[in-house]
Amino acid sequence: MAASDVVFRVKRYRPESGGRPTFQEYTVPYRNDMVVLDGLNYIKDHIDPTLTFRWSCRMGICGSCGADVNGQPRLTCGTYVRDVHKGAVTVEPLSNFPILKDLVVDFDDFLRKLASVTPYIVRKDWGDLKKEYVQYPEDVEAYRQQSLCINCMLCYAACPVFGSSPEFVGPAASALALRYNRDTRDEGADARLARLNTKAGVWECTFVGECSVVCPKDVDPAAAIQTLKFLATMRHMRRLLMPGSSSR
Amino acid sequence: MERTSFDIVVVGGGAAGLRAAIAAAESDPELTIALVSKVYPMRSHTVSAEGGTAAVLRDYDSFELHALDTIKGSDFLADQDAVEFFVARCPEEIIRLEHWGCPWSRDEDGRVSQRAFGGMSVKRTVYAADKVGFHILHTLFQTSMKYDRIHRFDEYFVTSLIVDGGACTGVVAMNLRGGTMVAIQGKATILATGGCGRVYEFTTNGFIKTGDGMALAYRAGVPLKDMEMVQFHPTCLPGTGILITEAARGEGGYLINKDGERYMQRYLPGKMELGPRDILSRAMVQEMKEGRAFEGPYGLYLGLDLRHLGAKKINERIPMVRELAEKYMGLDPVHEPIPVRPGQHYIMGGVSTNLKGETTLPGLYAVGETACVSINGANRLGSNSLSECLVFGTACGLAAAAFAKKKASYPRGAAAREALKREEARVFDGLLSRERAKETVAGLRVEMQQLMERDVGIFREDSALADACGMLGKMRDRFAAVGLADKDRVFNTELTAVLELDFMLDLASAIAHSAQNRRESRGAHSRTDFPQRDDANYLKHTLAFRTDGPPRIDYVPVTVTKWQPVERTY
Amino acid sequence: MTGREYAWKRRPGWWLRNRRYLMFQLREAGGVVCALYGLVLLNMLIQLRAGESAYAAFLNLLRTPPVLYLNIFLFALVVWHALTWFMLIGKAQPIQFTRRPLPWKVVFGINVLLWLGVSGAVVYLIFGGI
Repeated sequence: MAASDVVFRVKRYRPESGGRPTFQEYTVPYRNDMVVLDGLNYIKDHIDPTLTFRWSCRMGICGSCGADVNGQPRLTCGTYVRDVHKGAVTVEPLSNFPILKDLVVDFDDFLRKLASVTPYIVRKDWGDLKKEYVQYPEDVEAYRQQSLCINCMLCYAACPVFGSSPEFVGPAASALALRYNRDTRDEGADARLARLNTKAGVWECTFVGECSVVCPKDVDPAAAIQTLKFLATMRHMRRLLMPGSSSR
Repeated sequence: MERTSFDIVVVGGGAAGLRAAIAAAESDPELTIALVSKVYPMRSHTVSAEGGTAAVLRDYDSFELHALDTIKGSDFLADQDAVEFFVARCPEEIIRLEHWGCPWSRDEDGRVSQRAFGGMSVKRTVYAADKVGFHILHTLFQTSMKYDRIHRFDEYFVTSLIVDGGACTGVVAMNLRGGTMVAIQGKATILATGGCGRVYEFTTNGFIKTGDGMALAYRAGVPLKDMEMVQFHPTCLPGTGILITEAARGEGGYLINKDGERYMQRYLPGKMELGPRDILSRAMVQEMKEGRAFEGPYGLYLGLDLRHLGAKKINERIPMVRELAEKYMGLDPVHEPIPVRPGQHYIMGGVSTNLKGETTLPGLYAVGETACVSINGANRLGSNSLSECLVFGTACGLAAAAFAKKKASYPRGAAAREALKREEARVFDGLLSRERAKETVAGLRVEMQQLMERDVGIFREDSALADACGMLGKMRDRFAAVGLADKDRVFNTELTAVLELDFMLDLASAIAHSAQNRRESRGAHSRTDFPQRDDANYLKHTLAFRTDGPPRIDYVPVTVTKWQPVERTY
Repeated sequence: MTGREYAWKRRPGWWLRNRRYLMFQLREAGGVVCALYGLVLLNMLIQLRAGESAYAAFLNLLRTPPVLYLNIFLFALVVWHALTWFMLIGKAQPIQFTRRPLPWKVVFGINVLLWLGVSGAVVYLIFGGI
């Protein structure tokens, strides 16, 4: 092993053999500007082609390559080895998800949760296609941050509540619900708040805040969830105290 | 029991595929649509598009002008009837996406903003900061969740089309998570799997862009059109190939050489940095050849200077450019020029279709980068591709829906069962059982990519092209010896890599042979041995047909309506 | 189905994994402390009602060193609990007078000042005079 090599400890799991996940070590040539994904690709191309992981864009926008690197959920394409190289680099599948194979996890559950928060514009009257709806720059700014979610699942991996209560709707789905609630073109806020105003909705959250720390796109899902708690409560109060009033 | 018979099967979940699926779903509540993708749709490479999407929205613009810009940009190889069809429908697609919630950037008066872009005479590129592809894809994906009748098959890798009685009746796909093969039947099948940039070594394209749909159609006897027309984007980061959007130049960025000179004044003084991409890429290579480029650890490069734009404008209009430069180059473009060099980005060529996305195989459609209608001809203007995905996604979805409605019954199960058995044998019993020996999938893939980069790149000439054609033929033979170490059926990404290499070898060969046979220079196809455009002999599209040996090359004329080919000057 | 998914299991002691998880657990512990201390204050009222000697005995108990140290420790937890919630206010309910909402740090600062102000007034009332 040369001085300029780095050891990768990767968690392996073979679904057709069963058993428990185990670590396997590989020695990878080191380059100052390599990212963890480069190491995984080197292993797959030159050492062990059975190593399985998801990736595509390599520029932090597709959200495919999430993994636990040295215990922290990170995008492997955006994590420089020089920043995480503590003797060895440990790569494991994202916490809190069932493991399909090696670093590939099953997150179909998230897609069901996303679908459940009505993640699209809801309107009664769509108008024609001759003109756009007017939306001022500050209106766009109101939901821009939540709209940046790349569905990478790092926030779910970081959330200890999701880890123990898998029915929790979770950070990303909540942030996207807020994105639509805050969009001036949308009229579906009421239904979304009703869905989220449940135990498996936003109320599972105890504001650990780790989701916002690990988010690679600064979506700040933790703040979004607390905002939704406030909005859901206001809606609930309005319905209790003024049963006839219309809601947005 | 999961449903496996549909009215329409869409392969690929990017902008074009999703738009087609939504168009079909909206046209008729009775239609059932399968959306089959080897990755989850939000991972599709549409997500990485940055700059914008073009449409005529304001009084200072006109369909005539958008069409002229597009046709001139294509070096007159575009089919003008298709271009006229295209430009007229861009505005409603932009507005419809806006209604669906797409966060377009806005002017102070609340109307959708437009920016300048390469080769466009006026500001017609609608944008969403510099994440237009991301926002379009997520808007379309989330909107598609409205329709229960769109059934998603996520992480299903299509290995073959089902052809029965001279028509396409669906696909055979490998369920990656289940490790099984399944036949998904459809009265109509739409291929929307994107381009094949990964046949090149240095490309902006993500790992998944391996041209699967193009190869599937090619193998079913459908010709690939204009495959030699490969676009090299001028501003890619050295080393990684990550794209730096044309919008950086659209907002006023300069391109400089090592002498600090805005060298484009010597090549295109009329448009400077906002010329079409093929001209800019060639200019960069020229500067490199003549020793005026910077040198770095990943080779020669030029500089993209944004310093004069100021932090405020950069953060508002092109924030991701700043993030990418900081993260992957370790510099802040507010203070330093960004190193850039040309890289493969898009392929104008693809499955030959008409303006409804129909191919020569009844029941088979293609749309998006997978298809070649052609509206982009020999060179695509930036921000026309996303508009193309939307306009033709709609047109194709509706055409496929109409076709499916006319067919009373679903396809025969027998043909599907036969195709399924055949694919299981070919893939699981055949490919999967081959032992990994000297010839590895990664090794052969890198050789192919380096060969294409060297011999079928920005500048081409006959002997290098002939050499490439020969080598690719040999690589096709060598592929027969490629074996696998991973014998699992569940989520076997070595197996999918082998299947993708199989597709890419076909496509690389189509590209190289098409390039060798076009003895002229036009748009992105530059022949040093034939440097002039030759309308007399080559105002026509190349068609490549698959054979057991080298592809059979044929030609079909370009449709000219209003704009007679003239010299392409800016 | 040819493969089996491996169900993920959470490890005990997950909150020792990083500093932020630990701070979170301390904050939550602070919430429990607040609730328990409420019972102490309730007991004080009960002793007050029971008569002067009972109340004096209770106050003497509070003045003993172990109880004093315990109070200091619990006070720190309660302050930590309050500060972390103040940090959240600006993010959970944006306060907006202009085009952009107030930054959360500003809201945090205002709340801390208000808190110090109210606490100062309470201290003055108890130890000063009216």
